[in-house]
Amino acid sequence: MDSLTTALKVAASGLEAQSQRVRVVSENLANAQSTGNTPGAEPYQRKTITFAAALDRASGGSFAEVAEISRDKSAYPLEFHPGHEAADANGMVRMPNVNMLVEMADMREANRSYEANLQVVKQARDLISMTIDLMRSQ
Amino acid sequence: MQPVNLFDLASQQARWLSVRQSAIAGNVANANTPGYAAMDVEPFEKVLKNTSVAMSATHSGHILASTSPARMTVETEQDGVAILPSKNSVSLEDQMLKAGEVGRSFELNTSIVKSFHRMFLMTAKP
Repeated sequence: MDSLTTALKVAASGLEAQSQRVRVVSENLANAQSTGNTPGAEPYQRKTITFAAALDRASGGSFAEVAEISRDKSAYPLEFHPGHEAADANGMVRMPNVNMLVEMADMREANRSYEANLQVVKQARDLISMTIDLMRSQ
Repeated sequence: MQPVNLFDLASQQARWLSVRQSAIAGNVANANTPGYAAMDVEPFEKVLKNTSVAMSATHSGHILASTSPARMTVETEQDGVAILPSKNSVSLEDQMLKAGEVGRSFELNTSIVKSFHRMFLMTAKP
């Protein structure tokens, strides 16, 4: 496999990793208010994603892949909702540990990285077509 | 007349540029990978210096010496920018700059090959 094809594939792996990240962010945002339905029940626990570099020996490219999607172990914030079905004896409801600001920042960063990967794909394609143009009769 | 080796030189540079492009692609893809160090190819001058004259086999008893073109080693980038708390040294702006450089050099390279090819054909025309 030549280097330009490797570049395309590596950039595609980056796109895939970043879109997985956006998926996790959207899951977190969608469940930002998902509480339990029994008194004192556990609400939705925020998901986190980590990446790892995988070196492909055949082509020498370092592909990006999702290492793990795990759970955020931080404490749940408590809110006072006495009439809620998940409220405990004191009327407190355990809310998901999702922080909108953190999720937004994460989404922005994923967006930026996705754009950078797209740029690399475009450029690799340009280089390939420049090479093919050499065969065109002038 | 000296033997023309411009085509060889140009294809070697094109190869070096594409190796560099794939290194950049790896860096950009791993821009959010913890512990990843940015990579770059060794400079082109160094690659040219490492190119040794390949011996050709002119007799059936000759063992063909390794005729593979010079290896281009990819090493971790030295001119490190600020490293993030996640121990990742990729700067996207830096990589985009490098990608632009690669694109321009590649364009120059293919244009030179094109015009040289045209000159070559001119000599062949009656």
